[in-house]
Amino acid sequence: MTRAAVIFGLLILCQSPSALAQDAPYQLGLGLKVTDGFTLGGYFSTEFIINDDQSEMILDDVAVLAYGSLNERFSYLVELESIDAVEMDFNNGTTKTNFPPTIERLYGDYKFSDFLSVRFGKQITPIGYWNLQPINVLRETSSNPRYSREMFPKFLSGVDLYGYTPFDNSLSYHVYLQGSKDIDEDNINIETRNHVGFSLEKRLGRNWQIGGSTGKFTETDDTRTNYYQLNSRYDGSRYSIFSEAIFNQQDIPGRGTVESKAFYLQSEYHFSAKHALITRAEYFNEEKFDLQDKIAVIGYSYRPRYPISLKVEYQWHTDSRDNQLVSSFSVLF
Amino acid sequence: MRSLILLVFLFYSSLSLAAEYAVVMANNSSVSALDESHIRDIFLRRRNFDGDVKLIPVNLVGEDPARVSFERYVLQMDREQLNKYWVGNHFQGISPPTTQSSLPSVKVFIGRVSGAIGYVPLGMVDESLKVLYEF
Repeated sequence: MTRAAVIFGLLILCQSPSALAQDAPYQLGLGLKVTDGFTLGGYFSTEFIINDDQSEMILDDVAVLAYGSLNERFSYLVELESIDAVEMDFNNGTTKTNFPPTIERLYGDYKFSDFLSVRFGKQITPIGYWNLQPINVLRETSSNPRYSREMFPKFLSGVDLYGYTPFDNSLSYHVYLQGSKDIDEDNINIETRNHVGFSLEKRLGRNWQIGGSTGKFTETDDTRTNYYQLNSRYDGSRYSIFSEAIFNQQDIPGRGTVESKAFYLQSEYHFSAKHALITRAEYFNEEKFDLQDKIAVIGYSYRPRYPISLKVEYQWHTDSRDNQLVSSFSVLF
Repeated sequence: MRSLILLVFLFYSSLSLAAEYAVVMANNSSVSALDESHIRDIFLRRRNFDGDVKLIPVNLVGEDPARVSFERYVLQMDREQLNKYWVGNHFQGISPPTTQSSLPSVKVFIGRVSGAIGYVPLGMVDESLKVLYEF
């Protein structure tokens, strides 16, 4: 945390205003561009959850991010986030706080060309769609599919080589590698010591995309996982539909090999720029911890302006005791 | 008579389809031609280079007719779609192209900044600019 604060300070001190650019005034959701080398932004989200066991309000994300280009090829991004900063449980009248921020992302990018760039540091693992836009305000549902939470490491502390392929302008790739522990292990879903993977993404015209990833990682308990993932999406003027699926083979010490699968299909109907109706179906079967669930979600999203999001959804689970109502309010600055 | 009607129709159609604007770079740029999808990717900041040349897209501010036409015919996105796109990219550390307040200042920017690429009315194109694409 102290290191991150020092980095933030140095970045601010190193900036000089760009001479010729006349950048537009601050616009909500696009950050405050101080210089070409320093744009400052942030976001927060709150959730209100009601089910059989709990009735609680959570200030679950409070984050600040800074990024910019230090020269024509090198850029950086720093994001600090307080997770579950405030939790108010209305059933038993307790309030918990957790303000110390964690390093959510901390990386540099060096662009050799459009065909090869390298990103080094703590970053989001480039798998699928959902994982790359993980914050509440960028999504149309308050909740994440279980697919995105428990089947692969959300973060990578390592190196990602990426770019477009020279032979096809609509085909991009990532080759990513982690060989040590995470830069900040306070906010990761799976603790790994190594992770290697490869992903491809193909644009099919203006509306369709299709892609997939494969890779393997080793957890701190020596469980070894190979994963095979596919994703596809269609974005029309009113309808969006996207889906991701993953198949895991896991070698668990003392247990042998188990197989896990997860899938979701989400559709969104935007009946105006501000209003959308969302449905999602999920299948989740995780063998290591023997977790199974089928989930149906129906939700409504209202955005008075795009970077301001108000959402409500209802979830039906295989175990009806897990059914719940979730609403949220989030803003990106 | 039918041929005459057809000729008149084709004449007015060609008038309505005639290009009004050009995507331009400085005339001394090594970039020779870009297709529409490449220009779209440059202004959406998905691509940053042509060979070794770092490209710097420049937009007009606000609702200037040149910008509105560029967004409609080249980017093929409306303002709501673009706003959504840039908000998502802000989280990824990518900002929209830099802006200039007027067409003359776009021309000056392109002349002074290596790799700058913008759009101006065809009537503003002179020997200092290289036309890469018309719309």
